[in-house]
Amino acid sequence: MKDDEHQSLLKDIRVIVFILAILGSIIFIQPWYSSDEGFTSNLNYGLDLEGGSWLQLKLQGAVAELDADSGLLIKEIVNTKLGEEVEILSVDEGTDETTITFTSDSILTNNQMDQLGVGQTTISRNNNVTEVILHSSKVTLIKTYLADSLKAEVLPAFVAGTVEYEIRTAISQEELQELMTAVGGSIVTDINGDALYKEGVTTETRDMTKEILSDKLNSLGLKDIPVKTVGDDYILIDFAGIDLATAKNIAEKPGKFEIRIITQGNESKHVLYGDEIAAVSIVGFHEDDGQWYVPFTLTDAGAKALQKVATETGATTDPMSHNLVMYLDGNEVYSAPLSYSAASRLEEVPIYAWQASTGPDEDSKTRAEELRIHLRAGALPVNVEIMGSGHVDATLGKQFKGQAIVAGLLALLAVAFVIFRKYNKPGILVPMVGTSISEVIMILGFAAAIGWQLDLASIAGIIAAIGTGIDHLIIITDEVLYEGKLPPKKVYLSRITKAFGIIFAAAATTIIAMSPLVIMGFGALKGFAITTIVGVMIGVLIARPVYGKVIHEVLQKSSKDVE
Amino acid sequence: MEVGLTERLDSFVRKHNDRQLAAIPLTIFVISLLILAFTFASSGSPVKLGMEFKGGTMVSVTTEESLQSIELKYSDYPINDVRQTGTRVIMQFGPMSNEQQQELISNVIDSYDNVEINQIGPVYGKALQEQAIKAVIISFIGMALVVFLIFRTLIPSLAVVLSALSDIFIAVAFMNIVGIELSLGTVAALLMLIGYSVDSDILLTTRVLKRRGTPQENISNAMHTGVTMTTTTLAALVVMYLVSTYSYLLSSSLSQITLLSDISIVLIFGLVADMMNTWMLNTSILRWHVTDQGARRRKA
Repeated sequence: MKDDEHQSLLKDIRVIVFILAILGSIIFIQPWYSSDEGFTSNLNYGLDLEGGSWLQLKLQGAVAELDADSGLLIKEIVNTKLGEEVEILSVDEGTDETTITFTSDSILTNNQMDQLGVGQTTISRNNNVTEVILHSSKVTLIKTYLADSLKAEVLPAFVAGTVEYEIRTAISQEELQELMTAVGGSIVTDINGDALYKEGVTTETRDMTKEILSDKLNSLGLKDIPVKTVGDDYILIDFAGIDLATAKNIAEKPGKFEIRIITQGNESKHVLYGDEIAAVSIVGFHEDDGQWYVPFTLTDAGAKALQKVATETGATTDPMSHNLVMYLDGNEVYSAPLSYSAASRLEEVPIYAWQASTGPDEDSKTRAEELRIHLRAGALPVNVEIMGSGHVDATLGKQFKGQAIVAGLLALLAVAFVIFRKYNKPGILVPMVGTSISEVIMILGFAAAIGWQLDLASIAGIIAAIGTGIDHLIIITDEVLYEGKLPPKKVYLSRITKAFGIIFAAAATTIIAMSPLVIMGFGALKGFAITTIVGVMIGVLIARPVYGKVIHEVLQKSSKDVE
Repeated sequence: MEVGLTERLDSFVRKHNDRQLAAIPLTIFVISLLILAFTFASSGSPVKLGMEFKGGTMVSVTTEESLQSIELKYSDYPINDVRQTGTRVIMQFGPMSNEQQQELISNVIDSYDNVEINQIGPVYGKALQEQAIKAVIISFIGMALVVFLIFRTLIPSLAVVLSALSDIFIAVAFMNIVGIELSLGTVAALLMLIGYSVDSDILLTTRVLKRRGTPQENISNAMHTGVTMTTTTLAALVVMYLVSTYSYLLSSSLSQITLLSDISIVLIFGLVADMMNTWMLNTSILRWHVTDQGARRRKA
């Protein structure tokens, strides 16, 4: 008779699933004890239990669709860059190209026009008036105007027929509107009249920032430092085992970038450091000579320093024997001679806009991409603001871990005590506490399987899930044990169905109540919400059905014993 | 002990009519509302905001130094508060510049053991605050929807939602009285409370609406189960609260775990309020609804 019951329990699909889930969890957790290492397992712990620091960074910038008057734009650009006043004669807005004709009383040179960097120009001078015909585009003009006024990078992106400008510095909608009004323009509005302005950066820029940070951390020999993106404009970095002061230094300080020119043999002369590089643009390809290149701009001081050293070293007269070499943190990252055209121009004027060519093939393209990051010296494409940070000493984390586990165990004991007082039957106590422990094992197994980091909040979540779990077990027990004895099979089945109705309803409300935290995903509470939800699901779907089955067997056995 | 409590509660519920029974929890609900309104009027928010929502820096270290000497040592920084629990000292700083921050952090890490630092920028704190409010509201509406979907009758569902709402208000009013600030931990506790508090209400409503027998019998039965549920949860929470808050009294090598301490104390008060709201407020509304319906049915 006893064997028969035993078999029926083991044949039950719910029991089989339960046993498999427990075994699976133990395999994932891999608990082990050795005398020299102590207790070890496959579980990952969060920073607050392991020690380390974290930084939450906000990427500063704005993305907007903009419009402005081309004539006013070029007027402003010439004024800021050259300090000259110009008169606009005509503006011809074509589909691909905007042709602007303007005049000035001053003499304007080709070199000055190149310094503007907005397009091809033809200059003529008659009767003391300089007339300039400029072939440019509105996008280039808006981009240049904003970049000059804000001293920041501005990247236009063509999205579905319109142009979005990514401004890589903090700027409010009002400030941007003001800047655009000055050139007869505005932030474009959508059909509802809402301005197409968004604080933050584009997904590409966010990902690029993330990559540069990861590269930088890896190059410092800090492996396994996760750099996570949170939402569109937050980046979260966990520095396990590194203190907060060091972590901040690593994230904020760029590497040391230097340009030198070879004087003779291995000797070289310092030209400039990374802070003289004003801007680095995206990698391009020259159709004429088939070369990949990175365009970058020097500051005024940088451009003059380069002219001076190039002249002194003789690089302007004999470029081939005086390579220009770039170093990042003392390592050579680029070496090439000045082009003959650049060399001869340098004899007369400083050059601001430069292009570093890397070669014609795919490898060269990759090298150009790398050089682009190096030119920034590991500096991030956008300014970051530290929104939040934290630090826990390793010893303190260990202490928290121990205390949290003790709190959990004692809480379980307290629950067991209350249950024993109420039911006074070990036959109910053992399966009830057993079910709770099995739920903990399964939650931990799940955490180990997906590599989830257990932090203090997750441990609170586990305790919360166990709390609701015990509640549900009590509902099942009372429903089945109505009037103190086991009812006939038919009544039992309808009761257990009703009990599960209540349990599913209660579980649904808990899951719904926790889900906003998972979706919003802020701070430490995401871990709390996820563990609670996972715990409730495991409990309702795997552990509690088995408890319903087991408690039935136990009560049947005990009532038989009485008979 | 808890058996005694259940019996006393049961006879109390039997002896009083619906209006009398609802009066007590409703009075406490109104008092809580007044407390929240008062706090809102005097501080601009219904509950005192903690560092995580205001922005600032919290530093906690193990030290034997006196509070005065520490306050003096960091007087160059915007130090707001210094507190001591056992051998741990907790300092709260207002917002400061990045350089000052860096200096402070290096100083603390170099000079103390068992350092814990938490820093939240004011802007981020504001964003967190908005998200937390949104989370609590969405979570409450979600819970209410589930309750309506389960019972599909207006008054019983409303009774459940009202007692859950009262639980939260009483818990928050309690936080104001004893001076617990709103932190990420206490927000988590309030959300957890939304989930926990409806458990016993759902049990009660299901038993009364769907089981045969007189409403009063069903209420007593539900109460036996429900009070056991809440007492086990309370037992677990009290232990968690004691271990995370006062374990340093046993050994100076142990420290407070603020997150667990916050979560457990708010839940303890929420659940005590829930016991009252479930077995007085919700019960009285439900009992009135069922007898009223029964009377109408008999008339028809």
